Amino acid sequence: MTTHRMQSPVLKLEDVAISYETRYGDIEAVRSVSFEVPRATTFGIVGESGCGKSTVAFGIVDFLGANGKIVGGSIKFQGRELVGRSQAELRKLRGDQISMVYQDPMQALNPSVRIGEQLAEVLTVHRGISKDEAWQKSIDMLQRVYMPDAANVMGRYPHQISGGQQQRVVIAMALLNNPALLIMDEPTTALDVTVEAAVLDLIEDLKRDFETAIVYITHNLGVVARVCNYVGVMYAGEMVETAAIEDVYGKPQHPYTQGLMRCVPKLGTTKESSRLYPIRGRVPAPKDRPKGACIFAPRCDYVTDKCQNERPLLREIRPKHSARCFYSEQIDAGTWQPPKGLVPELASEVEQERQEPILQIKGLKTYYEQESKSMLSLVGMGEKQYVKAVDGISLQVPPGKTLGVVGESGCGKSTLAKTIIGLETPSNGSAEFLGFDIAQGVSERDQQLIQELQMVFQNPDSTMNPSYSVGHQISRPLQRFKTVPSNQVREEVIRLLHAVRLDGSYYDRLPRQLSGGEKQRVGIARAFASRPDLVLCDEPVSALDVSVQAAVLNLLLEIQREHGTTMLFIAHDLSVVRFFSDYVAVMYLGHIVEMGPAEAIYAPPYHPYTEALLSAVPIPDPTVAQKHIRLEGTVPSAMHPPSGCTFHTRCPRRAMLPDGGKICETQEPPWRYNTEEHRIYCHIPLEELREMEPVVTTG
Amino acid sequence: MATSEQTIKASAQPSRWRNAWEKISIIFESKIALVGLVIVLFWVLVAIFAPLLTPYSPTEQDYTAQNQGPSGAHPLGTDSLGRDIWSRLIYGARVVLVVLPVSESFWLPGGTALWGVFLGLLIGSTLGLLGGYVGGWVDEVVMRLLDAMMAFPVILLYMIIIAAFGASATNVVLAIAIVGIPGIARLVRSLTLDIRTRDYIRAAETRGESVWYIMFVEILPNARGPIIIDAMLRVGYAIFAMGTLGFLGLGLPPPSPDWGSMVAKGRQFILSGSPWAALWPSIAIASLVVGLNLFADGLSEESLRYQ
Amino acid sequence: MFVKDYMTRHPVMIDPTMSIVEAQGIMSETRVRHLPVVEGGKRLVGLITRERMRIPPTELASLNVWEITRFLSNLTAKDLMIKGENVITINPGATLEEAATVMVEQRIGCLPVLEEDIVIGIITEIDMLIQLAALLGGGVPGVRATVRMPNKKGEVAKAVSAIAAQGWGIYASGGVFAPKNPDFWDCVIKVRDVPKEKLAEVLSGIEGQELLDVREVS
Repeated sequence: MTTHRMQSPVLKLEDVAISYETRYGDIEAVRSVSFEVPRATTFGIVGESGCGKSTVAFGIVDFLGANGKIVGGSIKFQGRELVGRSQAELRKLRGDQISMVYQDPMQALNPSVRIGEQLAEVLTVHRGISKDEAWQKSIDMLQRVYMPDAANVMGRYPHQISGGQQQRVVIAMALLNNPALLIMDEPTTALDVTVEAAVLDLIEDLKRDFETAIVYITHNLGVVARVCNYVGVMYAGEMVETAAIEDVYGKPQHPYTQGLMRCVPKLGTTKESSRLYPIRGRVPAPKDRPKGACIFAPRCDYVTDKCQNERPLLREIRPKHSARCFYSEQIDAGTWQPPKGLVPELASEVEQERQEPILQIKGLKTYYEQESKSMLSLVGMGEKQYVKAVDGISLQVPPGKTLGVVGESGCGKSTLAKTIIGLETPSNGSAEFLGFDIAQGVSERDQQLIQELQMVFQNPDSTMNPSYSVGHQISRPLQRFKTVPSNQVREEVIRLLHAVRLDGSYYDRLPRQLSGGEKQRVGIARAFASRPDLVLCDEPVSALDVSVQAAVLNLLLEIQREHGTTMLFIAHDLSVVRFFSDYVAVMYLGHIVEMGPAEAIYAPPYHPYTEALLSAVPIPDPTVAQKHIRLEGTVPSAMHPPSGCTFHTRCPRRAMLPDGGKICETQEPPWRYNTEEHRIYCHIPLEELREMEPVVTTG
Repeated sequence: MATSEQTIKASAQPSRWRNAWEKISIIFESKIALVGLVIVLFWVLVAIFAPLLTPYSPTEQDYTAQNQGPSGAHPLGTDSLGRDIWSRLIYGARVVLVVLPVSESFWLPGGTALWGVFLGLLIGSTLGLLGGYVGGWVDEVVMRLLDAMMAFPVILLYMIIIAAFGASATNVVLAIAIVGIPGIARLVRSLTLDIRTRDYIRAAETRGESVWYIMFVEILPNARGPIIIDAMLRVGYAIFAMGTLGFLGLGLPPPSPDWGSMVAKGRQFILSGSPWAALWPSIAIASLVVGLNLFADGLSEESLRYQ
Repeated sequence: MFVKDYMTRHPVMIDPTMSIVEAQGIMSETRVRHLPVVEGGKRLVGLITRERMRIPPTELASLNVWEITRFLSNLTAKDLMIKGENVITINPGATLEEAATVMVEQRIGCLPVLEEDIVIGIITEIDMLIQLAALLGGGVPGVRATVRMPNKKGEVAKAVSAIAAQGWGIYASGGVFAPKNPDFWDCVIKVRDVPKEKLAEVLSGIEGQELLDVREVS
């Protein structure tokens, strides 16, 4: 006898197909998507960019815009067919029973209306209750979403609260009418890791209390493992696998899912277990998707003729576990070997000529002057205010090694990179590169020095100039720095293209003809063109799909090994940096709080902030045990950083010190040296730090 | 270098001709742009082939046929001095659109309107780039300069320049340029402010490229879309302005076939039953301006539609 | 054990203007037997049940074939539902027994759960039955014993302490008056990981109490 009634699913999609009208005709964005969401369950839809997951989410409530339409299949909400309904009917449903939460909270919040009014409006419009009652209920709901100081927040405007708090408000708004179905489209993607962790905790909490069915769209496999019960994996507009969480991560049945699991960064305990294997090839554009073949065939390691000529159906392999593949039963993910050439065979490290650190920074400070709004400043007498983006950083990078710099937004890592490369001038401190002083802007540096220090940028779409061909842009640094004689420039460009695994025919292509991953490779080729000694990589893979990230990271590793280049790698995610870095520095509010060899960072002793970061990273494995440490409050403003240890306002381990950590407020912490190369910036004595348990333990 | 079997082959790309065709076909997508283009092309062709399209010279006077309406001999009629209106129209279009007489013996292809806008683009873009990219006090100076120029009503500015320097084709070009500079500079400046945040500008800076290189080689080519559309509209404004100048007597000196002065001269005869001398040039001005506007509108609408 | 913890949240609901034909389709698709009718943000205005779908033959007798079809297709939920005032409801803080009592007295199979006029859930006979079984430890393997004891203070405690003295844990328990014998009380106790015979031995040894039944259930 079960304790739950066998009830029909809240949402049921069968064979749904959605198309967009374009200049070239109708393009099928999504086809044959089928899944069910039972009540009180979270169904995750996961996939990379262009797979159509957001299209499906918007299609459920027909938010497809003027040129999108559902061209086939049925969508049933609580037994009611939604396809074909008028906008008026759907609007009613949307208000009462189905709510949406978007990635950008400002899409749902009106910046010119107070938060309290926006919340109350949801109730007064739909339920017709009095404003006072609605106001009180809104406060209650804000408290349920753990909004600190809820009554006060009601009177504020959206821009006066942080991103994480805005998202809580949006979730509160969505839940006010007690919807039966909640659709969340990447709600935490734009948030910092620690903030994201807190919001995910909230979502799990609410799931229990409200019993709402949730459709959760994301590209992050770690987040899915944390909040979802079931998962649907989408690829190129099709649903290729649906299963319960444990099954998808433990025994994936579709080659694409298996490939995804291999290229997702994990917080592995050893460098080897953190290796990333990319999926070769690229996602087909909507107009190139074959109708009579398996859509994953071009990239599959197990492809046969049958796959190229027949389209597999989504069939049940085991109870509640379906996959769209002919050979699921025969494929064993455990015996997979990487095909030749997929991952670089790393050359052994190049002998370094110099043994001193290639980059030496001492007490570096970069302050931005903030325009003061007071009357006094108009006459030049006001107090100057500074944003202390980098506030006293000292580090050294040995030649040929990679230093990973990790921190959340506002920690100053980007400013650090810009200062090193000369796009910003430091306010104080010293910086030496190859023995030369670089504490100046790039316009004051010697040409020789400039060419030894280059950068790879974050956003593939803006890293290339759209008006010039790929070859032209790579040859520019070659010409400028005269790396090779002018008649050999073209040859060298082709060589560089090959080095980043691109065919020579890319020479004449324009950036808009390239995919994100390809553009990033060109950016890397351009940075390495002048054969620099140090390359700064500013979040080079954050904007790329997971399967492409692995390829680009491997590429960087390969190039580095081959040329013996030193690298400074900036990231916001500790798991990405794991297998890639020799050393890691963790930054918080302009300071380095912990620095050392990579293995040392991921195992105790930790700086309390590192511990919190590691606890917050969503791990793509539901069987792993992870500590649950959450930080209170938000990152303080860099204009008025806290006194003493800047982390003291949020440190969960302050209580370990006498007086509840009074010393943290008044004195700057000392450097504690765990080993010669591993140091922690904390008042807590080393012995106590060493007794901490590891954050992640494989279950 | 590690052997790589995994070199990515670029997927088959369409040829250059096809790319070009795709760009041009945008025009055909928009009915509006097409209509505009037809009108503009009509005048351009008519201006180019003027001598072949009429037996009369624009200055040929015929006292026996004054103020006549359309007839077999004169398709659009004649003006008060017996000159064929059609000829005057098409030769008038020449100076505006096709040929710029710099001096007695020297002329440049392109027409006053086109040259004026081009000159304005040159100077205005430079100012806009400087203000937008360099910023700081340079930006302040540029903006104040532009503010000063914009303080004058356009027609007044035209009149002052022509009155001061005399009415010749080159001066008209200068006037058009000066009047256009503030608008163009502002447009380029705002485009620059957006473009300079891109990473490829950062990349150029990290290479130590000079400010001029970054402005003209990296930034300007990426602003060309809106600039071109704006320029087309400006050609229309310029033509209209020239019509007004002509009307006020500040256009090209007689007996040049200037549309504006044709309207001015023909004005007196409207009520007495011969509106032709004023009507046709008015329609000509209006149609050309409208045509340019439609073309620019249609293009910008199309390029935004399938964003 | 309150209604709010065992009710079904987000029940399938319809608005009064929906046609009966569509409502029937929903009922069969979602396999529910009761449909609350709501408007203005889940405010209860009526209830549709299978029974209400039965139209008295006298109404149809006067119509001919074509009129019947039109009559049926024009029927909306509003026409057939039990009107709001007549719908028996319950509040979320009520106990399960109260809900059960209401259901029996009013002879109805379901109760919409309202909070200030807004439907937040529904509780039905099936929910009651599920809880009845769960109450007595249904579905979990163990040993189930029924003991008859005098209806006096301290009797249940005797049985419980006898079990506790053995160091065993009670998994579930429930009791009612003995059928046809109000002086006695029948208590069901469920214990796990204990051999049946041992439990029987302990319970039969209690003075004044009679072990009626002991069995292993899975």
